[in-house]
Amino acid sequence: MAHILEVKGMTKRFGGLTAVNNVSFVVNEKEILSVIGPNGAGKSTLFKLISSFLKPTTGEVTFRGERISNLAPHIAARKGVVRTFQETTIFRNMTVRDNIIIAHHLRSKASLLGYFLGTKIANEDQAAFGKSADEILEFLGLLDIASETAKNLPHGHLRALGIAIGLATDPKILLLDEPFAGMNHDETMKAVTMVRKLRDRGLTVLLVEHDMPAVMKISDRIVVLNFGEKIAEGTPAEIQNDAKVIEAYLGVEDEAIEL
Amino acid sequence: MLNNKKTLALAVFLLAVFVIVPYLIGTTGRKDFYYTLTSVALLSIASAGVWLTLFIGRINIGQGAYALMGGYVSAVLVMSYGWSFWWTLPVAGILCALASILIGFPILRLRGVYFAMVTLVLTEVTRLLALALPITSGAKGITSIPLPGALSIFGITIIPDFATMENPRIAFYYLAAVLMVLCFAGMYRLVNSRIGHICMSLQQNEELASSIGVNIAALRVIAYAISSFLGGISGAVFVAATQSVYPSSFTVTDSVNFMLNCFLGGLGYVFGPMMGTLVLYFGWNLLFETGKFQLLIYSTLMIVLMLVLPNGLMSLRSLWKKG
Amino acid sequence: MEQVIANGLYLGAQYALIALGLTLIFGLMNVLNFAHGQMYVLGGFITYAVYGQLGLPFPLAVFASGVTLFVIGGLMERYLFRTVIKRSHREESTMLLAAATAFFFDAVILLIFGEKQRGVPKIVKGVFNDFGVILPYDRILVGILAGLCIIAFILALKYTKPGRAMRALAQDRVAAQLMGVQVERYTMLGFALGAMLAGVTGGLLASITGINAGIGGPISIKAFTMIMIGGAGVVGGAIAGGFILGMMESVGLTVLREYGDVTYLVIFATLMIFLSIRPNGLMGKPWG
Repeated sequence: MAHILEVKGMTKRFGGLTAVNNVSFVVNEKEILSVIGPNGAGKSTLFKLISSFLKPTTGEVTFRGERISNLAPHIAARKGVVRTFQETTIFRNMTVRDNIIIAHHLRSKASLLGYFLGTKIANEDQAAFGKSADEILEFLGLLDIASETAKNLPHGHLRALGIAIGLATDPKILLLDEPFAGMNHDETMKAVTMVRKLRDRGLTVLLVEHDMPAVMKISDRIVVLNFGEKIAEGTPAEIQNDAKVIEAYLGVEDEAIEL
Repeated sequence: MLNNKKTLALAVFLLAVFVIVPYLIGTTGRKDFYYTLTSVALLSIASAGVWLTLFIGRINIGQGAYALMGGYVSAVLVMSYGWSFWWTLPVAGILCALASILIGFPILRLRGVYFAMVTLVLTEVTRLLALALPITSGAKGITSIPLPGALSIFGITIIPDFATMENPRIAFYYLAAVLMVLCFAGMYRLVNSRIGHICMSLQQNEELASSIGVNIAALRVIAYAISSFLGGISGAVFVAATQSVYPSSFTVTDSVNFMLNCFLGGLGYVFGPMMGTLVLYFGWNLLFETGKFQLLIYSTLMIVLMLVLPNGLMSLRSLWKKG
Repeated sequence: MEQVIANGLYLGAQYALIALGLTLIFGLMNVLNFAHGQMYVLGGFITYAVYGQLGLPFPLAVFASGVTLFVIGGLMERYLFRTVIKRSHREESTMLLAAATAFFFDAVILLIFGEKQRGVPKIVKGVFNDFGVILPYDRILVGILAGLCIIAFILALKYTKPGRAMRALAQDRVAAQLMGVQVERYTMLGFALGAMLAGVTGGLLASITGINAGIGGPISIKAFTMIMIGGAGVVGGAIAGGFILGMMESVGLTVLREYGDVTYLVIFATLMIFLSIRPNGLMGKPWG
């Protein structure tokens, strides 16, 4: 399988603190790869580095062989590397449908001036976006709430909306930020199905997560971080039996219960 | 595009501005009102520019700089280079836009109070520039600027020479009113188009906007350039109407007032700057009767306003809706 | 050359005092005190009234300026800013409030003291003339006094309880609150102190350059420039900004004199370029 994304020697220092230390791995096309690790392991930082929202201290990220790590975030998005945010990040005062429509920005063929003047291409774009938004709404099961104002949405729907916004950009790889956080068992199972459907749609998915059962269930491969370093990489089965991983997680639990 | 109610409102507004007002002024003989309303129209254009900067999430207290710049550009081109006023108008706007792009690059990434601080200093610095540069004739300014000449295209006179008019004030009024209508029509279109949505996305969440591919840095610069263009045009017409320009023609106080106009009229409302300017300008003029207490009362009222309605006039509107 | 440095130093000390007051208010409340220049002017006029007109001793006059502005500052925070900050979710409101207070001060000052430039008798006569430096003794005295105030201020911030409380507040409001710092009391104190510093500087400088009602605005702008250079909300930044501006003015006045009043233009142009590289000033908190 081809590599679609490669992280090479990624290191990020904030002043004296090394948040991510020489992490390297690849992501294969159309796979679901999860990055896990205890709190403070550097997952968030790594996530932002890959999506170009942070600049590396050293190291790089390449997407289909092209370096993206020093590009502005909107350009990385344009290349097809799109991230989602944790749930409260949506366009609060717009309807669900409008949120998705506006996220089609990257697909517009007309220029900004064209939109202002209302040219034919601009109008065609708007029509196309509407159709595409409806398709995404259906795909994610959000059709009934299409006209709701985003800020009124419950929890689970907000998460789906975040993914919908990501989908609207027509990404090649979707980076999900803790997609299962705070969900109960049923919600998690629904979300797992949704992520699988994303892969079926032809996307590659990289997710950062805490929820172990979900991660084990859905991932093709897993990368484990601890204290900013990669300590393991492999299939769920391999990871579950990896001594270092067990120690990293159990060690933390020991402290928590003071044994 | 516009539904019936809005079309009606638009028609009434245009009728009021272009027909009813001149008629009323004609019958009551209050010719000075032309000047007042011309000022309101021009100031509302500058305020619209500030509103646009607010729309992309920046507090702009530097519009006075561009009004002054635009005024001087027009004055210098007319006096020293013999240009026709009509050509200096777009040129003033464009030069201001270009200057703002240059200035915008370093400062637009600053947010909140920091950005406001820089724009404030900008107004003062423009005043100092006007004092220092030889081309602007320093403190004595540029005076006795001739009234706009005729505007003719292909030999057909579209706008007659202002000097031949019995009351050029009427002509300036119409000019200002037309520009104001164009300005706000453009703003309305912008805000309700996709660009408006993208700007709102920028306002609501910059990171999210980036993640859907919006080039937020470029968008900010474009908005700021348009804003400064409006400032420049407003200043140029002002200078033509008063036939003079001084370094003190637009000061920090004016910059603050443009912001105040937007705030008063409602920060979320496209026509806010127009309403705010109207209210404030007439308010200030009314206070003229109080003589030396004018500034004291004005500033006291401003303070009271902030205490009572810290979210601008629009908060009244939402209170109204609830009640 | 030495003259330029001497001038720069004495100016810098004054400016640093002004900048300190402004940055204290900014650091504590995230409010840009538009009226800072006007507070300076008011302080100057009070000193003029007490020392110049009533003939009372100069130190008493400066003290009077300081105390008056302290009280005014405290009242402003308590009744104006606190209300608006609590009730508004927009930054524009506090900014417009600050602008309104500046206009208010301008109006009051004009009404009470009039438009004329006022001066006071020299506090110390004579001129220092040595080492190639010509500096009147009163300027040296004022410069030293300003320097002492700065040192006293820094020491107070570092070692006294209120000082530490304010530093904590400026760094992290919520954390400070959780640690038991009385936010409201110290915010008010901070604003009052900031105002006092402006007033004291005004009183000091009135004895040298005189005072008039119109310079409030320009002084505010200078103060903003200083904290843009040095970084807002940081004590070191204010001092650095003050001294840098003082030096630049001193250099500009001598070197650029032939080219007209371009000193400030040069400063501003440099500032723009500087801000593109370091948007937070020399030492500022990341902001933006």
